[in-house]
Amino acid sequence: MNIASLLKRTATLALILALVAGCSSPKGKGTYSGTGADGALPGSDVLNPNGVNGEGLAPRPDGNFNPDTDVDYETLAAYTVYFDFDSTTIKASERGKLTKVQEWLAANPGKQLFLAGHADKRGTLEYNRGLGERRAQSVRSYLIGLDVSGSILQTISYGMERPAANGDTEAAFAQNRRVQIGVIKTK
Amino acid sequence: MNTSSAPRLAALGLLLLSVITATAQVDVTSKAKVRVSITPLAGAQGAAATQVLTKDLVRTLLIDPVPASGAGFVVSGTADANGVTGQLTSGGQVLVSKTYSGDWRRATHEFADDITLATTGVAGFATSRVAFISSQTGQKELYVMDIDGANIKQLTQDKTISNGPAWSHNGKMIAYTSYKSGYPDVYLIKLDAGTRTRIAFFPGINSGPSFSPDDSKIALTLSKDGNPEIYVMPVTGGSTDRLTRTRGAETSPSWSNTGDQIVYSSDDRGAPQLFVVPANGGEPSKLSTGSAFNTEPCWSPDGKKIAYTLRQGGFQIGVYDVNERSGKTVSTGSGEDPSWTRNSRHLVYASSGSLYILDSVTKLSMRLENGLKNCTEPAVGQ
Repeated sequence: MNIASLLKRTATLALILALVAGCSSPKGKGTYSGTGADGALPGSDVLNPNGVNGEGLAPRPDGNFNPDTDVDYETLAAYTVYFDFDSTTIKASERGKLTKVQEWLAANPGKQLFLAGHADKRGTLEYNRGLGERRAQSVRSYLIGLDVSGSILQTISYGMERPAANGDTEAAFAQNRRVQIGVIKTK
Repeated sequence: MNTSSAPRLAALGLLLLSVITATAQVDVTSKAKVRVSITPLAGAQGAAATQVLTKDLVRTLLIDPVPASGAGFVVSGTADANGVTGQLTSGGQVLVSKTYSGDWRRATHEFADDITLATTGVAGFATSRVAFISSQTGQKELYVMDIDGANIKQLTQDKTISNGPAWSHNGKMIAYTSYKSGYPDVYLIKLDAGTRTRIAFFPGINSGPSFSPDDSKIALTLSKDGNPEIYVMPVTGGSTDRLTRTRGAETSPSWSNTGDQIVYSSDDRGAPQLFVVPANGGEPSKLSTGSAFNTEPCWSPDGKKIAYTLRQGGFQIGVYDVNERSGKTVSTGSGEDPSWTRNSRHLVYASSGSLYILDSVTKLSMRLENGLKNCTEPAVGQ
């Protein structure tokens, strides 16, 4: 193939990628969103009254990490933390699970966790996304209190949109008010 | 005359007065609708346009199309590939006589809006488009449609969770949340260019975008500093200004029409309540809606009202009057996630997988048919 058609194909491919991939805004002064190249969190506040040990969230993992495919929710499934309705408090009955999680991490250095927060369907969508997020942060905060480093604790909220159980029973609702303790797969 | 007939004369005078004003504009605070006769439109698209027009007028929940009887409001016109020529008369008086050039469907909607305004005094919304989410494909994708359910376009095919579209005020952009990257991030779609850019992808959640009145900024929820809070950032992405600071979760920001204030929902005090904060920062103040559990606020285009979702058994739509400082339930049945139409009276909401139009004054509502299942999170473009 000649140079002209090669250039044309490259340009076309670039255009398609730009449309499909949702390219981020260019890195540079004041134009970034998300984490900067050095891992700094733009706009984060030094004073944080939100009870997360004064820390903002850890940057997202580098590279091609995708929460949909690269998290193992099976290994620590027994330690899924459950919550009361509209609550983000870690009940006394659930705390033992997080002690076990801390012990597992101590026995498995180099592992990172992905804490996925959820809500039952009885709230509205954005409210439930916030509730799931606060539950995930609550577990993260508790683990930090057990001396786990915040830098290995990633979080996400799915709100009410990835239920564990369907239906309108109390039992189903209770199964959905949870934080899953995922383990980030190492490649 | 003796004194006893004076009150009767006065009453008769009052009755005559009310009849005279009634022909100019019928009282549309009651559920009695304005009767309008629609003469079938002539022209190559006449039959189709008559159907579209009739449905547009019925959808206002203010108008009752009736057979032609010679008296009252009469609609007539022609429709073809070049557009619509339309007339509205009442008695001998011509109230509307106009040519609407362009696509016949659009022209018909414009005619319908003129008829609505002339017969009811309320601005129509037949030309509006609605963005919404549907899991017709099995996954939550983003769609837009004309408010009558025509011209449906599926804007995403990401096979992931899409949420919460918001229109820019100029109608050219949609911001929304997607888990396309695996995380909840905010994307900006420019409709003319057909582009999509990811504009907020901080650690934690990025969701609930809402455009400022001049479309230069969005307010949204970010949890990057440890907790879901309300932030403002340029629409092009970049640095953020934080507006809230609580131990609760702040979600669903919506700008006032002046751009001075932002209303949002916070559960900092237990059950979620509505708060208003100055858009440039300051002390939030709580709105007394009179109901527990208030979320998903939407500020009306005229600035006078805030619609929201409340929980009263199931979910209902509430409207808070900014001047009177009180709220009331306006839905009958159930409803969530209200979005105002341009007239600050009608709004679109979701219930049981369908979208509905509601008249917040009469509380009448009807379904917006679009043939798609599990429709949620509507946003009306102005």
